[in-house]
Amino acid sequence: MAFIELAGVTKRFTKGEHVITPLDDVTLSIEQGEFFVLLGPSGSGKTTLLHLLAGIDRPESGRVVVAGQALGELSPGPLADWRAEHVGYVFQQHHLVPVLTAYENVELPLHLFPLSRAQRHERVALALEAVGLADRADHLPRQLSGGQEQRVALARAIVADPPLLVADEPTGNLDHASAEAILTLFRRLQRERGKTIVMVTHDPNAAAYGTRIVRLDKGRLLEEATR
Amino acid sequence: MRLPGLARLVQANLQRRLLRSLLTLSGVAAAVALFLLVESLSAGLDSALSGGEAARTLIVYRQNRYCPQTSFLPQNEATRIAKIDGIESVLPVKVFLSNCRTSLDVVAFHGVPAEQLFATRKIELIEGDRAAFEQRADAALVGRAFAARRGLKVGDLFRFNRLEVSVVGIFRSPEPIEESLVVTHLETLQRSAAVQQQGTVTQFEVKVRDPARARAIAEEIDALLATSTAPTDTRLKLAFLESATAELRELLSFGRLFGVCCVLVMLVLVGNTVAMAVHERRAELAVLRTLGFRPSRLARLLLSESCALALLGGVVGTAAALATIASTHLTLGVEGVMVTFAVSPLLIAKGLGVAAAAGVVAAALPAWNTTRAPIPAALRGA
Repeated sequence: MAFIELAGVTKRFTKGEHVITPLDDVTLSIEQGEFFVLLGPSGSGKTTLLHLLAGIDRPESGRVVVAGQALGELSPGPLADWRAEHVGYVFQQHHLVPVLTAYENVELPLHLFPLSRAQRHERVALALEAVGLADRADHLPRQLSGGQEQRVALARAIVADPPLLVADEPTGNLDHASAEAILTLFRRLQRERGKTIVMVTHDPNAAAYGTRIVRLDKGRLLEEATR
Repeated sequence: MRLPGLARLVQANLQRRLLRSLLTLSGVAAAVALFLLVESLSAGLDSALSGGEAARTLIVYRQNRYCPQTSFLPQNEATRIAKIDGIESVLPVKVFLSNCRTSLDVVAFHGVPAEQLFATRKIELIEGDRAAFEQRADAALVGRAFAARRGLKVGDLFRFNRLEVSVVGIFRSPEPIEESLVVTHLETLQRSAAVQQQGTVTQFEVKVRDPARARAIAEEIDALLATSTAPTDTRLKLAFLESATAELRELLSFGRLFGVCCVLVMLVLVGNTVAMAVHERRAELAVLRTLGFRPSRLARLLLSESCALALLGGVVGTAAALATIASTHLTLGVEGVMVTFAVSPLLIAKGLGVAAAAGVVAAALPAWNTTRAPIPAALRGA
C-alpha cells in the first residue's frame, strides 16, 4: 500500500447559490520518500487536496489513507494527535506566532509530546541548525526577514520529525535566493531523511525540485512527469 | 501542552496587546473592588447582628422613639427593673451621637457606670489601664476600630462637640459594633455641656439569666413602666438592632444588586477582550490546530488567558478594596448602631472566585466557537 492513498475523493463548497467542486472523484497514490509536486492555477483545488491529506479537512465522499490510517475514521481529538505525529505543515505565509521567539515557535509542536525540557532543547537546536538559523533563536518573527521566517516555519514543521511534510506555496512570497534556500532544504529532507514531501506550487521552477509532478485541472489530476 | 509552555503562551498573548489588557484589568479591578466593598459592608452588618450575648440581652428604650438623642428614661428605673425575677444585671447607658441618621463617620459615646462596665460588657483592654478609667471622671475607653479610624492612642485627649475626654484604654469586644464606641463615665456624659441630661439615660441593657425567658421578661418590664412618665418598648437586642438597621439593610440589598452589576460589567469587559483577541488570532489558532493541538487544549489556552486577566484584575481590585478599608476605617452608623466593613479570608476568596468565574464564563463561548470552526475556513480568514 502506498504511503498516501486517495480513492474517489470529492470535495464541494457552497458559495452563495453556486456549488464549487475543487476535487471531483480524485484517486491518487504517493509513495514514501517521494517529493510530490502539485501544480495548477489558482482555485484549481491544490490547497484543498493538501488539507485533505494533512487531515485538516474532510471530503464529501471518498477515502483518504495516510501512513496506513484512514483519516475519516478519526474524531477531531485523535485526528489532532495524528497530525502532531505524522504531518509537518508549511504555509505560504509563515504563520509564526508573533509574540514568541523563533526558538519558542519551533518548540510549539514539541509541547504535545512527553519530552523533557532538555530533549526539547536538543530537537529545537537541531531543527534551527538544519535551516541555518541557530543564531536567530532569540529573535521575534518581526526581527527576521521573509526568507528567515519561512525557514523558521520549516524548522517548526520538521522539529517533531514527522514522516510527511506538506507545503502550500512555501516560496510564493519569497525572493529568488530565499526560495532556492527553502527548496534546497526540502530536497535535502527528502533525500537525506527520507521524508515524503507534498508541495503545492504554481511556479514551474519550484516544481522542478520534485521527483513527481502532477497537474490539477478542473478537479482532476493529470500526471506530468516522474523522475 | 504542559504548564510552562501554556503559561508562556498565555503571558505572551496578554502582553501582545498590553494597553487593552491593562484597560480590561483596570475595569475588572474596579468592579471587584466595588463588589468587595458592598459585600464587606453586608458582612459587617451580619457581624453586627451576630453578637454572642444578643440572645440574652434586652434593650429597654423609650416607647415610640427611634433616635438615641430623643430617648430619655429616668436612670433610677434601673433599680425597679433589676428587681424583676430572672434578671442578672441592668446597665444604664447614655448614648450621645454626632449624627442620628445614616452616616459614614459617626462618633458614638456610651456613658455607663464605671463600676458596672467590665461586669456587664465583655470588653477586653488591649492597651491602657482599667483602674485609670475607674478613677478618672474624664477617662474614656475607646474601641479599637474607632481608635484606628481616628488615630487615637492611650494618653490622647479626644474632643468632640464641647465634650472632652482623656483616652486611658483601647479595647476589643466579641461584639463588633462595640469596637466603634467611645465609652465614658455615665455621669460625665450626663453633665457635659453637649448633653446636659442629668438623671436620665437613653436605654437600659438588661441581661437575663435564661434566654428562653427573655421575651416574657421584656413584657414584664414594659408592664412595670407602662404608667410611668417614660413608658418603654423592650426588645431583644437582636430585634432592636434589626429594627435600627432595617433601612440600612434595604439599602444594602440594593447595593448587592449593584454588586451583581459589577460582576456583569466584569463579564462584558473580559468577554469583549477575549472575543476581540480570538477574532484577531483566528488564523493563529487554526495554525496551532494544524500543528496538532487538540480543540480541548486550545480551549484551555483561551480559558487560561481569560482567567489570568480576570484574576490579575481581581487581585488588584481586592488589594484596592482592602487598602481603602484599612486606610479609611469607615464605619457606617445608623441610629447609634455602628457597622464596620468586615473583611475575611472567605470574602477575599469570594472576590477572587467571582473574578476567575467571570474569566471562565467570558471565554467559554469564544473558545467553543473557535475550536469548532473548520480549520481551512479559519486559515483563509487570515
